[in-house]
Amino acid sequence: MGKKEKSYLGTLERGIKKGERQSIARAITLAESDPASFSTIIKAVYDPKKYMHVVGVIGPPGCGKSSLIALLAPKLVENGHRVGIIAVDASSPFTGGSFLGNRIRMQDVLDNDKIFMRSMASRGAKGGLAMGVMNAALVLGSAGFDYVIVEPVGSGQADVDILDIASTIIVVLAPGLGDEVQAAKAGLMEIGDVFVVNKSDLPGAEKAERDLRYFVSTSPPNGERQKILSTSVRLKRGIEELLKATIVHETHVDKDAFKIRRLRLEASRIAKEIFSTKVDELAKEKEKWIADLSYTSIDPYSAAERIVYAVESRDR
Amino acid sequence: MVNGKNLKYSEKPIRVLIAKPGIDGHDRGVYVLARAFRDAGMEVIYPGLLPTPESIVDAAIDEDVDVIALSLLNGAHMAVFTKVMKTLNKKKVKDIAVVGGGIIPDEDKPKLEKIGVTGNYGPGTPLSVIIEHVKMRAFAVRNEKWGRKKRAT
Repeated sequence: MGKKEKSYLGTLERGIKKGERQSIARAITLAESDPASFSTIIKAVYDPKKYMHVVGVIGPPGCGKSSLIALLAPKLVENGHRVGIIAVDASSPFTGGSFLGNRIRMQDVLDNDKIFMRSMASRGAKGGLAMGVMNAALVLGSAGFDYVIVEPVGSGQADVDILDIASTIIVVLAPGLGDEVQAAKAGLMEIGDVFVVNKSDLPGAEKAERDLRYFVSTSPPNGERQKILSTSVRLKRGIEELLKATIVHETHVDKDAFKIRRLRLEASRIAKEIFSTKVDELAKEKEKWIADLSYTSIDPYSAAERIVYAVESRDR
Repeated sequence: MVNGKNLKYSEKPIRVLIAKPGIDGHDRGVYVLARAFRDAGMEVIYPGLLPTPESIVDAAIDEDVDVIALSLLNGAHMAVFTKVMKTLNKKKVKDIAVVGGGIIPDEDKPKLEKIGVTGNYGPGTPLSVIIEHVKMRAFAVRNEKWGRKKRAT
């Protein structure tokens, strides 16, 4: 690392600790794209004693996640919190480009010192989150944002990666998404702590809530009763209840246990990333060796073991 | 796909904020541009209609964009684009490029260039021209922003 780069990262570290938006924003850019510089920053700013409550707001595209966050975030600020928002939208599999439109719904509330909002493109990541989401949350936590709301890409039934990072999960649904059979399915419908039927001003909302109530409350996976609410962004209805349910759930979370779990998952994710970078480097170094491996008569598992062995012996 | 790699600064997707500052609801143009930038591999952030110059600058800072692309069709570009530039200067933001477009008379273009708003394309400009211009400005600010910390990747 050059001297100049070191002093630049130092400036960012001091900025994050002071809560300066430009430093936070730049660090999140590094979180998305430059793990080497980012690891230097996070080692300097991370405070293991702090707890940051991560709320995941998930659900299918167009059901009102961004709009609900726009109503929820200012209420959390009124309750004395500083709120970070990370909203993910999909990257094009063809061009890598992305249209990040979550700000549109939140525009009115973002003019607030205590709210920081960042749009993120998924950049090819699966499971609804982008690679930089948790890293960005760590930056926000270190900068004094104690509530971080994460909005993954509009999710399907199996996009449950949010479980790894959020301790409160709000599942947002809308009328017209299917009958009670859909409510009975695994995945998305199991992981919510709070279920919200949004657009409750539309026809079919009552039935959607009834179907949900039937299946969700009969099968509490963690022994705790899951909360079911209905909201309407248009009529600003049910928002207080959503706030209350979120805060009540937060007080029930075993924070130390969750912190340890999150740290463990994060550490193993980062370790995998470091290892995979090493494999890539090795592949570059020994291009011919790797190519030979796959074309000789060995099976893929033995080939993989040889690569692992090569990485390990290189590090020694 | 670029996920999970240690990216060179020139390989990161360009981030661009497109905005219509001031009282102007003609958003067909920005949607066409949003789509064109997206298809050119950029990450496009659109904050919606009727933002103030201040909120545009704040959004650009939080989103750490390379370029702000301003569009106005109502004739207020001199006043409003100038306000955006002033706000950027006031917040000491030096590494975000600003480009403009809309119904901009020829005699205003040099004045806008002078305060740092380049491009200033009107209706009928091929999208490829606009995309190239945005890329050019983006790489110029990136060279300043990240060039000093170039690494051997």
